[in-house]
Amino acid sequence: MEPRMYAYRCTACGKLFHPARAVCRECGGREFEAVPLEGEGTLLTYTRVYALPEGYMKPWLGFGIVEFPNGVRVSGQLNAEDLAVGMKVRATVGVVKEGVGRDYYGFIFEKAAQV
Amino acid sequence: MRKVGIAGVGHTKFGRSEVPLVDMLALAALEALDDAGIRTGKGHGVDQVFVASMGAGLLNRQSSVASALVDTLNLQPAMAETVENGPASGASAVKLGYMGIASGMCDVALVVGGELMRVVTGWEATDFVATMLHPDAEYAYGLTLPAFAGMFTRLYMDKYGVTEKDLAMVAVKNHEHAMHNPVAHIQLVPSFHAIIEDEDAPVINPYVAEPLRVYDVCPVSDGAAAVVLCAMDLADRFPKKPVRIAGIGQATDTHVVAEREVPTDLLAVRLAAQRAYAMAGLKPEDIDVAELHDAFTILEIAISEEAGLFPRGEGHLAVRRGETRVGGRIPINTSGGLKAKGHPLGATGVSQIVELVRQLRGEAGGRQVEGARHGLAVNFGGFGNNVVATILSKEE
Repeated sequence: MEPRMYAYRCTACGKLFHPARAVCRECGGREFEAVPLEGEGTLLTYTRVYALPEGYMKPWLGFGIVEFPNGVRVSGQLNAEDLAVGMKVRATVGVVKEGVGRDYYGFIFEKAAQV
Repeated sequence: MRKVGIAGVGHTKFGRSEVPLVDMLALAALEALDDAGIRTGKGHGVDQVFVASMGAGLLNRQSSVASALVDTLNLQPAMAETVENGPASGASAVKLGYMGIASGMCDVALVVGGELMRVVTGWEATDFVATMLHPDAEYAYGLTLPAFAGMFTRLYMDKYGVTEKDLAMVAVKNHEHAMHNPVAHIQLVPSFHAIIEDEDAPVINPYVAEPLRVYDVCPVSDGAAAVVLCAMDLADRFPKKPVRIAGIGQATDTHVVAEREVPTDLLAVRLAAQRAYAMAGLKPEDIDVAELHDAFTILEIAISEEAGLFPRGEGHLAVRRGETRVGGRIPINTSGGLKAKGHPLGATGVSQIVELVRQLRGEAGGRQVEGARHGLAVNFGGFGNNVVATILSKEE
């Protein structure tokens, strides 16, 4: 599995979505093309969870909802300290869950480099 | 369309069940049948049975629970189905019972909701509940319902000025209500000072999903609740005057929480409530008592606003003024809510209805809302992506 994340563009109206879906929310279209979803985004909200579900060995994990400049909003893990709503974060792709015989890849957001 | 009422209610003590799933469901069902004056055995008159369960397959490795319940209650050849709609399974099952009777397909329906959750560890229970999230875009990350509730709470605090103390006030209020409800799981009132003001509060009441703490989150409970639905034209058959189901509304929202246009909106709650009010011919001002899905304290506040009981962003102010406690203007979660009564997923929607029936009958004892005529229940599935609102009215 290639560790890359994608948005899905409706070929009829151009609207972007993540994750993939069967029918476009905007126009009802049914065909989509995958476009890479990466780079920097804005942290809309976040939490640190101390009671993780079965399958996670860590004492806690950070999670956030991030908006990319193209308007797509996604949830992901958050690997950063000193968080604030509205801060810039950078999307990386990594193993978000270790499964039996396979790993699950997804967004792990980190603090964007200071300008 | 025939009018539909509730002729009987039953409810197990929430907490830890001593008996297997179907036996637990049967306890609630028998109490409801007794309450409705229905004698088990030949001529019982129950046409249809609905069982609400989210996790029987996953938690208890049992399927077709409704068929098993019908048999143990000796209600054959009644029709039977198991209903799964996440944590809103209970209200969905009541809705289906309503539809069955309103359509004329049956006269009497038994609706039982139940969940046996404490057979697994807390981590497994958290994982099980999270299976209703999007498998790739949410669940695979380790995201859970508490995680989304925490992120929602942070937005709500920033936008409307809700504080951790406001949330603790909701928790303490619901625990106080539960002290008057013998079937509530937690029979203990936490000290407001200890859980939020004391220097040891972070130890007594640590964060679960920031900014939510232990006392903002419902416990994991076993339990079952049941109602007997009947056509109102058959009301004379039953010893107690049936409470009428005046309105039901249901609505869905995006599965993926991050895709919501306004992240602090619970659109499905608003639409479900509006539909229920329209069907009942009532307005939010007509509601005397409400059971709102406080799986997390923030949800009681947000749902109270989306359901029109308070203006947007002012639900927490009503909590501060004491308007939502028994004796206040619009008491919320008189049963103790999910927070203190417990939240056995499939049971919850039915349990909310049971509480409203007791309130409208005047059977709620120390938590009675005087003169209550109309009650609202909001049962919340997913992180708000499938919501059922039900309005009950006392027949004069």
